[in-house]
Amino acid sequence: MTSVTGHEPQHADHGHAPSPARRRGILMRPGYVRALWCAALFFLVGMYIVVTLRWLAGWDPVYQWEIIVLIAGMVTAPLGFLTGIGAFDYWLHWISGRPTVPDDHANHGAYRWQDYFKVNTDHKVIGVQYLVTTFFFFLAGGFLAMLFRAELAQPGMQFFDTQTYNGLVSAHATLMIFVFIIPAFAGLANFAVPLMLGAPDMAFPRLNALSFWMLPIAGVLFLASFLAPGGAFATGWTSYAPLASEQPFGQVFFNMGVQWAGASSIATALNFLVTIITMRAPGMTFWRMPLLVWANFTTSLLVVIATPFIAGSQFFVMFDRVMSTSFFTPENGGYVLGYQHIFWFYSHPAVYIMILPGFGIISEIIAVMSRKPIFGYRLMAISLLGILVLGFSVWAHHMFVAGMADWLRVPMMISTLLIAVPTGVKVFSWLATLWEGKIHLNTPMLFALGFVSMFVIGGLSGIYLAAVPIDIHASDTYFIVAHIHYVLFGGSVFTIFAGIYYWFPKMTGRMYNERLGKLHFWLTFVWFNVTFFPMHWVGLVGMPRRVADYAGTFGALNMVVTIASYALGASVVIFMFNIITSWVRGPIAGDNPWRAMTIEWQVTSPPPVFNFDEIPQVVGGPYEYGVPGAKHAVLKGGSLQEARV
Amino acid sequence: MIRRGALIKMGAIFVVSAIIATLVAVLIPWLPESASEEMDGIIFTYWFATVICIGIFALVAAVIIEAVWSFRVQPDDDTDGPPIHGHTGLEIAWTVVPAILVIAIGVVSAVVLAQNADAGDDALEVKVFAQQFAWRFEYDGQVMSDELVLPVDRGVEFRLESADVIHSFWIPEMGQKQDVVPGVQTEIAITPTRTGRFTLVCTELCGLGHSTMRAPVRVLEEQEFEAWLDERAEAGGPPPGEETGGEETTGGEETTGGEETVGGAQELGRTTFADAGCGGCHAFEPAGTDAQIGPALDDLEAAAQAAGTPVEEYVRESIVEPNAVLAEGYQAGVMPSTYGESLSPEALDALVAYLSEDTAP
Repeated sequence: MTSVTGHEPQHADHGHAPSPARRRGILMRPGYVRALWCAALFFLVGMYIVVTLRWLAGWDPVYQWEIIVLIAGMVTAPLGFLTGIGAFDYWLHWISGRPTVPDDHANHGAYRWQDYFKVNTDHKVIGVQYLVTTFFFFLAGGFLAMLFRAELAQPGMQFFDTQTYNGLVSAHATLMIFVFIIPAFAGLANFAVPLMLGAPDMAFPRLNALSFWMLPIAGVLFLASFLAPGGAFATGWTSYAPLASEQPFGQVFFNMGVQWAGASSIATALNFLVTIITMRAPGMTFWRMPLLVWANFTTSLLVVIATPFIAGSQFFVMFDRVMSTSFFTPENGGYVLGYQHIFWFYSHPAVYIMILPGFGIISEIIAVMSRKPIFGYRLMAISLLGILVLGFSVWAHHMFVAGMADWLRVPMMISTLLIAVPTGVKVFSWLATLWEGKIHLNTPMLFALGFVSMFVIGGLSGIYLAAVPIDIHASDTYFIVAHIHYVLFGGSVFTIFAGIYYWFPKMTGRMYNERLGKLHFWLTFVWFNVTFFPMHWVGLVGMPRRVADYAGTFGALNMVVTIASYALGASVVIFMFNIITSWVRGPIAGDNPWRAMTIEWQVTSPPPVFNFDEIPQVVGGPYEYGVPGAKHAVLKGGSLQEARV
Repeated sequence: MIRRGALIKMGAIFVVSAIIATLVAVLIPWLPESASEEMDGIIFTYWFATVICIGIFALVAAVIIEAVWSFRVQPDDDTDGPPIHGHTGLEIAWTVVPAILVIAIGVVSAVVLAQNADAGDDALEVKVFAQQFAWRFEYDGQVMSDELVLPVDRGVEFRLESADVIHSFWIPEMGQKQDVVPGVQTEIAITPTRTGRFTLVCTELCGLGHSTMRAPVRVLEEQEFEAWLDERAEAGGPPPGEETGGEETTGGEETTGGEETVGGAQELGRTTFADAGCGGCHAFEPAGTDAQIGPALDDLEAAAQAAGTPVEEYVRESIVEPNAVLAEGYQAGVMPSTYGESLSPEALDALVAYLSEDTAP
């Protein structure tokens, strides 16, 4: 609440590095040293809460390490870390009655590179923090994929035992979904959405910072599960009960990691909703919002409504283990299929959480790089809302073979097939935007077009899976693996790459290397297809998914897939090299290298710390390319790149 | 607005893309050769969807390729395209036409689904028991088998039960798939249409032995199947430790009586080996099994000597507590550790004797 007043541009000292009132010692200053000892202290507190309760109850053993790690390691120590790093400082000051300034900008903006490693309330810094962190987990998840692809290169077991293999597969998917794709979109939107709206920041900057800092906790928990006795969680990212309640302790790292990622996700989504509803610049009606903003508005609604369901499902599974409840264990009347219903009630909308922001990115890029207005703007926005509504009525298509009530199959099939209609509207509108345009085939545009073509293939294989009789054959096979990689890699990851290339000059003020960018695209595009296209085939002819070993007849194709997956992994190195070297010493990009109309391109690159000296006035639609004299927004003040009044 | 030349070129690209996609669809054997009526229905639905998908794919490919080909400009071109904001007719068309196409796929699917759920009037009923990581099959409440044997051209109604976690029942050539859920009895219908050997695989991640959870499937002519069933019924008898209530009859055919106990302890050991599904994972020459998921049981004497325990004790421990001593190259946790409870004491004794005796030189 207090931060809302931060909208008023009442601080004359914008550009200056703020100086804290009182310099505290290294131990008490917010930062990594304090985070370390606070985490340790909170661990001990959590541990002795457990130990004391067990001692009082007379339970043996008093030092039950699984419970201690669960409570102290996965709940209190992360809270200690957040406290120590300084995510709660302002609120704690306020609670304890110490003087606080509502628009305290002590932690706002990045003046030195070190500022990116602190709790920072600037949405642009948080956006970059998200992207860098999620790319770390992307590399980790990709590395795990290469490990298990080595095992799958030949039939028989060569490198791992089966439990380790299952752990690698599960952790790969979990890292990619929960701490790469979903938060990478949150990072891009964090950077772009407030600027696009003409807002000085998000509605709740301190909550925004907290959201970000909860994310690495989730990722570290997922990775730390490999250290647990019995290995990492090994039940797939779907983690079906009752298997999940009987697995070794590593499973709990998944149950709890999802809580942290989910909390981060929900807080960010609330922040976006409030920002988009209340902080649009004057003249920015809903029908003038860029489609990226529309996409994040829709996505945030999905997150807020759906994410609590996966949080609940994971708590229930964990309670079945540690508290002997029977939510999903049939022995005491639990309902096994209940897990899948609750899980997919989140996880199907989650599919749209992982693609709608990408749709937004692609709409921006295709309009700008074709130099044409987006075709059918209003229908594009309405189709997002259509996907939002239909997205909640299709979850049981993941359960056609699960043994659920038979009557649910046909209605869920029809709603699933119908969701292809708004998705198709978007694809056809992008294609129509290209038509007669002045197409600039640079790296963001290549990734955008690559996305459209790969996503169409993923969408078409989705039609096969929606048709119940075909799904009954293809379900739980490599066909599914192929399908989800066409929509999540060819879909989401391509849009993330497109978005990073597109906003890189705005984020850093420097231009990436176009040649390396194109090379990265073509290597990714080719090896992506060689890796994942054959999986359709091996799946349909009989290879189940999530198997460490398989019948010898699938050997040749799996070898091809493994080799291609290594080449695909290597292509990421080019991307990393390009981004890092360009960030350090790329050519100065200029404020608006793409000649785009949306507001973020009308300020300097990188944008000023508080975005605008004066809130812009929006006067027209965001994609009026080719309309003589058209403007989207009028800006005044020092952040103008040229006179625009 | 739209240039005629561009449209003609796009039409040509559409045709080429459609031909390429059709060749990919036809030349690659995407699906296994059908072995059931249900799979025939699945394949029909598959081709119905494929025709529509090829059209959509070729259309998208044509527009993208033609757009990049004809409308690409140099990086220094600063001009803008025509300010076309939309076209109501087109927008209605690409909302309505895809809706009709997907509904058509939905109707075809619903019809095939209804057909595939029906095993016919003269259906054979087979119970399927799944547990980590083995399959067992029960016919007429009497015959237990670790191999799934089916008659050709007769509907089979499977009733599936799981003892622990979720498994899934799939014979790729027969298309049908159904999860096996603890606490719930699920059902599936299959009508095999050709004889031969197939493999049943578990397709739901069920733990560390998931990828080894397979079972052999054999489809026989009706008479051969009946003969197999009779042979198993005479040799077998009711599964030990289970109340079946149908001991006197098999499939309406009077049994000659007395064969349940006539073979004594050794016979009980032999049937327990078959009924408990041991042969699904272990090779054992006297039982004629050659599976390789678990270690072979043909030289238990040597294994017991290596472990330093008498052979009977060693065998009993390996059944009841399979993780206590592991054969080299095999992993803990794959073999179910529930046999101590699920087998009756007599059956367990007989099984130990059967395995130990037969390995004695």
